[in-house]
Amino acid sequence: MLKVNNLESGYGPMQVLWGASLEVKKGSITSLLGPNGVGKTTLLRTVFGSIEPWGGKITYGGEEITHLPTHKKVDLGLVLVPEGRHLFVGMSVHENLIMGAYLKKALEHIEESLKLVYSLFPILKARTNQRAGSLSGGEQQMLTIARALMTRPRLIMLDEPSQGLAPKLVSEVLETIKKMKSEMGLTILLVEQNVEASLNASDYVYIIHEGTIKAEGSSEKIKGSRDIREAYLGI
Amino acid sequence: MIGAQLTGNLMQGLILGGIYGMATMGLSLIFGVLKVVNVGHGAFIMIGAFITLWIFTAFGLAPVIAIPVALIVGMAIGFVFFYLVMRRLIKAPELASLLATFAIGILLEEIAKLIFGSEFRGYNWAVGKIILPITVFPMSKIYAFIGSIAIALLLYIWFKKTRAGTAVRSVVEDSEGARVCGVNVGWVYALSFAIGIGLTVTSGVLLTMFIPVGINPYMGGGYTLKAFVIAVLGGLTSPYGAFFGGLIFGLIENGSYTLFALIPGVEAFAMTRFLSFLILLLILLIKPTGLLGAK
Ligand SMILES: Nc1ncnc2c1ncn2[C@@H]1O[C@H](COP(=O)(O)OP(=O)(O)OP(=O)(O)O)[C@@H](O)[C@H]1O
Ligand SMILES: [Mg+2]
Repeated sequence: MLKVNNLESGYGPMQVLWGASLEVKKGSITSLLGPNGVGKTTLLRTVFGSIEPWGGKITYGGEEITHLPTHKKVDLGLVLVPEGRHLFVGMSVHENLIMGAYLKKALEHIEESLKLVYSLFPILKARTNQRAGSLSGGEQQMLTIARALMTRPRLIMLDEPSQGLAPKLVSEVLETIKKMKSEMGLTILLVEQNVEASLNASDYVYIIHEGTIKAEGSSEKIKGSRDIREAYLGI
Repeated sequence: MIGAQLTGNLMQGLILGGIYGMATMGLSLIFGVLKVVNVGHGAFIMIGAFITLWIFTAFGLAPVIAIPVALIVGMAIGFVFFYLVMRRLIKAPELASLLATFAIGILLEEIAKLIFGSEFRGYNWAVGKIILPITVFPMSKIYAFIGSIAIALLLYIWFKKTRAGTAVRSVVEDSEGARVCGVNVGWVYALSFAIGIGLTVTSGVLLTMFIPVGINPYMGGGYTLKAFVIAVLGGLTSPYGAFFGGLIFGLIENGSYTLFALIPGVEAFAMTRFLSFLILLLILLIKPTGLLGAK
């Protein structure tokens, strides 16, 4: 569904991605694993378009989208749950969700979408008029995912959705992600610090290091390969 | 006696403050959205003043007619400068955009000087006055005040109720957040810059309705300074914060002028300027996010 070929990008004069390639199959959970600072966030942000690609090619559903602006990607159902949440902290939970349905297509289905995210995250319903900035870390993370779901995505890229959460909440977030795949039919590209949990949740795994993909395989294969785990994942 | 004079001047200050506030909303909007300080702010006020003068002297039309003209001309200028200059500077270091807006300001001043020369001009729009026991309000000042409030209110409604206004608010809060919601952030930058410049040029009209003299290519400098103080008072990123900041500033300016004038040997006008710098400095030291701003 999503194909990334030889992607290059960076910040100012500093190149971070050096020809990274990967593919996300429709209906799968695909994980991108690697140590800190190797370019995982940069890859997701370049695919989404927050950072302009320097080279390479991105296709989505058979269409080339390499230089498509971000709002058009959201309209095509490709959305990012960014690292660091980027909620509208001064707005209420409800207003944040409404912002997720900003585009016309999403707005037409806003009632349905609200029902869906409130049933997925009942705690948000209880907090609906509370300021997003006053939510707990776990609630904020749920709101970030919920806001992304309001755009009615087909492929959702999640950048460390369990960052800073207690272990119990981490598994809750991963359960939710599995539900998004199995019950809502979403395709997922996941970046997660918690290697064990994300290996368990994923169908396919890419290992990124120094801006390129160093290894890939089904999560069973990666789990079974001591070399890969020791070289790149430190477990 | 002094009490009556002070009250009268404070009333004048409140009205002038409303106009000051309106004259700062554009600066705050541009800073809130693009994180760019428009150092050339005053030059756009000057354009509004000349538009008013031109409409009044060349066509004999009331300065109020200049309001929509200034808004449209200002927005057009805003779009032009955005796409020619500012668009490339959003991701550049802050110094680049500071220098760019500084240069735009000088460019506009020099163009105005080529066209109009550098002498001071003025006009006289006699539409009656309200005479109170303690002070006199020419109707033109009252109309300018009403105009300011109307424009501030319209902007408020636009922000809260329209789709485009919501998009702008979302970018002010978190531009990456806005992007992942599908907001066309590049367009929001262009639109906000254009509206910000449009509001600033329009405020030039309202300011000349309050002070219909001293129109000159270099008249903007003093207003730039005042707008900085007011923007900081109002919390920097909020146009309506700026409006209330303007009201406070107008009261402080006129109130302190009256009081300084009582002290023999003191140049009251210079002292009010000194006081504005002092306020700016104190707020930046104590509460850098602005007096009315969030934490
Ligand atoms: N906005 C930025 N400006 C300049 N350099 C950046 C920026 N963001 C990231 N970098 C640098 O780019 C490199 C890759 O960063 P990136 O955030 O993609 O890593 P990551 O794999 O997501 O790391 P983490 O696991 O810590 O989130 C790092 O060296 C980082 O310092
Ligand atoms: Mg990261």
